[in-house]
Amino acid sequence: MKESLLEILCCPLDKHDLELEDAEYDDDGDEIVSGTLVCTECGERYPIEDGIPNLLPPDMREGTPA
Amino acid sequence: MTDTNTTSTEASSSEQEQAGTRGRDRRDDHDRRTAVRERYGEIAADEGTGDDRERNVEDDGEDCCSPACCDDDREATPVPPDADAQSLELGYEPDDLEDAPDGANLGLGCGNPVAISNLEPGETVLDLGSGGGFDCFLAAREVAPGGRVIGVDMTPSMLKRARENATETDQDLEDVDLEFRLGEIEHLPVADGAVDAIISNCVVNLSPDKPQVLSEAFRTLRSGGRLSISDLVATEPLPAAVREDPDLVSACVGGAATIEEMEGWLEAAGFREVSITVEGEWGGEYDGEELPIVSARIEARKPETVDD
Repeated sequence: MKESLLEILCCPLDKHDLELEDAEYDDDGDEIVSGTLVCTECGERYPIEDGIPNLLPPDMREGTPA
Repeated sequence: MTDTNTTSTEASSSEQEQAGTRGRDRRDDHDRRTAVRERYGEIAADEGTGDDRERNVEDDGEDCCSPACCDDDREATPVPPDADAQSLELGYEPDDLEDAPDGANLGLGCGNPVAISNLEPGETVLDLGSGGGFDCFLAAREVAPGGRVIGVDMTPSMLKRARENATETDQDLEDVDLEFRLGEIEHLPVADGAVDAIISNCVVNLSPDKPQVLSEAFRTLRSGGRLSISDLVATEPLPAAVREDPDLVSACVGGAATIEEMEGWLEAAGFREVSITVEGEWGGEYDGEELPIVSARIEARKPETVDD
């Protein structure tokens, strides 16, 4: 995902902003391939894997091989 | 940001309420989502390698949101020869099929939401239930240069495919951001008012909580933003046996709302200029009875100023 897209993302639970942690970028440096999005309000952590942020609510994330 | 605290308080109290009085419903909803996700995960995996796309829909007649979907041990409906031919019937142009990467069109739609959404260059588009990404690619073509397309889907293998397809066509999409995220359309991970247009193709029917999907769509749209959905709807209430059959739900038929329900939910969510246009009979029978299912174009607009 591109970092610029972060501004229109939010926590699926409480709709607060997300902060990017532990970001790893691709070779061109414009695409985040892994990292974690953390809700600034509830602290819920959403992983970014293979460039796709997993923003499923926690109860739907179980059993998701993401 | 001032009203977000209220929103989260409301959200948590309504969650508590659901956990109490509606505990069983919530479990049912969860089971239903899981069933839908498993089925579409299998479809994504089956279609996975790209070179076998010629034999996709016709193989087993079990792919969803195709008229072939409910024919296993019931009356057969005509099986489309392949995903592309079916898409042409649903209103896509041959160029659309050519422009999208191979393997993006899984033949799972029931209309052409991009064609009805009048996208302009520079706009931000959200696709609810983006699947293999077909409509996202077409939307990206419309909003370039400078636009953004975000596909949300709850099925990891679908998203993986969509992203692989996006990588294949990178050179054509230089001037537009096309992104996919794993998420639920009932809990959109998209900020308030961030989106110009919402599209969706034969997905809302799969949700166990359609009013919430529509109110989330409303929230993410900017004032004046528009909703353009292709979906299956029922012209009269469906028998309980159809609504509760997990296979028929996954096949986009069991969960089809009536036109009146859909209109009521859209208006309750705050939408105006609500318009539901029947596009065609969808077919399918259950227990010897023809199902009253049609494909429809569902359009609505978020008012310029919202009454609070």
